[in-house]
Amino acid sequence: MNSAYDLIDVKYGYDGLEALNIDQCQIHANKTTAILGPNGAGKSTLLNILAFVFRVSSGEVKFFNKRCEHESHSALRRRVAYVQQNPYLFNDTVIKNVELGLKLRGVNKKDRHQSTMIMLERLGLGDLAPRRAHELSGGETQKVAIARAMVLETEVILLDEPFTYLDKRFAKDLEQLILDNRRTGNQTVIFSTHDQSRAQVLADDIFSMLAGRYVPSSIVNLYSGRLLPDKNIFETAELKISVPENLTAGEHIAIESTQIVLSKEQLLSSMRNSFRGKIRSLHEDNGQIQVTIEAGEIFQIIITKAALDEMNINVGEMVWLSFKSSAISVF
Amino acid sequence: MEYFTEAFVIAVKSILTFDHELYFVVFTSLKISFASVIIASIFCVPLGLLISSREFKGKIFLQSILNTLMALPTVVVGLLLYGILGRNGPLGGFGLLYTPTAMIIGQFILISPVVLNLVVVAASSADPRIKLASMALGADRYQRGIIFVGEIRFALMAAIVMAFGRAIGEVGIAMMVGGNIEGYTRTMTTAIALETSKGDFEFAMALGILLLLIAFTVNLFLQRLQQFSK
Repeated sequence: MNSAYDLIDVKYGYDGLEALNIDQCQIHANKTTAILGPNGAGKSTLLNILAFVFRVSSGEVKFFNKRCEHESHSALRRRVAYVQQNPYLFNDTVIKNVELGLKLRGVNKKDRHQSTMIMLERLGLGDLAPRRAHELSGGETQKVAIARAMVLETEVILLDEPFTYLDKRFAKDLEQLILDNRRTGNQTVIFSTHDQSRAQVLADDIFSMLAGRYVPSSIVNLYSGRLLPDKNIFETAELKISVPENLTAGEHIAIESTQIVLSKEQLLSSMRNSFRGKIRSLHEDNGQIQVTIEAGEIFQIIITKAALDEMNINVGEMVWLSFKSSAISVF
Repeated sequence: MEYFTEAFVIAVKSILTFDHELYFVVFTSLKISFASVIIASIFCVPLGLLISSREFKGKIFLQSILNTLMALPTVVVGLLLYGILGRNGPLGGFGLLYTPTAMIIGQFILISPVVLNLVVVAASSADPRIKLASMALGADRYQRGIIFVGEIRFALMAAIVMAFGRAIGEVGIAMMVGGNIEGYTRTMTTAIALETSKGDFEFAMALGILLLLIAFTVNLFLQRLQQFSK
């Protein structure tokens, strides 16, 4: 499969602090990739590197299989469109903002005006065209910034937390745009989010991050603590969790939410971890049920609707949750 | 009070009848101040942008010097320039003392720190996202510079307008290196000082009214610019 980006041993830091350290990352061309992680995970830093706004401190970045370190970053930047988090619109009208990228690329006035108007209409922003950008609301600003990036029709489009300021209706529209793009497969779309379900629904691939590093797992059921290697135990503030053998180091563990088994009675099985807890909430999300359980730590478990009906459980009830040590990633 | 009222009426009359002598003084003032502001802007706007875009040792010290120089007393500039341009001064040979050129040089020295400082402040306090946004849109270094200047255009214009206000209202330099020569280096401020002491209170008052009008217009303009820059 073609890759849009290959990152190998990439490090980025400023003021002596390491903000990003990625051993390896491949982002497929013409696919949709979500960069998933909590605030401060390094998502924006990674996007700034992918947008060629930041230069890596060390390591190698390949863009469509070509090494980038000797290429002009200005030229590379023109091959990607990038909507930053909390985007800045220039002190001019909306239409001038949206056509600026085309102007910088030397597109003539007539063509850029036409492309701009088509894009604004397509996103339902036609009415905003003559308005001054600094008079717009946060949501409108975000929409215009998305239009400003999309009008460039670049090979890659990067969106940093694009749903943050959007109202529900436009968020749905944007989700649809991303899904349409995914179906046609004409453009590589990379967006960052802290919302796991959104990432799962919209993206072909998910790249999870925590503290500037790639996390080889989802970012729910994530706990910090210390590993006791001689006992094969990971100790969080509240629980002692059995982990796979032969581990030597790690400060975090993550447990896949689909790998946790839920039952009313304690199961007699080979699963090494079994905890009792109270159901905090039940939440339907894209046809699946997300169950939140407090069992010392907070666990999130995904089960099917059929399983929920079969077990007949409700909020407030006590249940057992069990998982194998092999369902745990330690890092 | 009657004396004051009569003088005021005569002053307004000479303004409305476009008294030639009166307006010539106004014209001289505007000409000299415009010249000094244009020259100061040409030098100080790019220099200010450069200072704000670079980190170097002594930058904070330079900014505090510029801040201090913003309040430079005009007579001190006049005095120094008199010493330099006077017949026995190091540049006395050029014969610039008591010419409009000397006044322009003096006003240039006076307002350069004003322009420089305000430009540095405007550029340093600009939204840091401007640079990132223009980079992300694919602007090269030159295009980024143009976009940046465009974004802070109102603050830059405000700096220039403020400098003009300081230049047109100063009297120390105009008096000391201009010499208040009628029809040549006589400006509004020097004429007001001279005519008052000569007893031609009406003429001085007419100039005073016009100077106030100019100051008012400049301030109005400045306010509008500051509104736009928000």
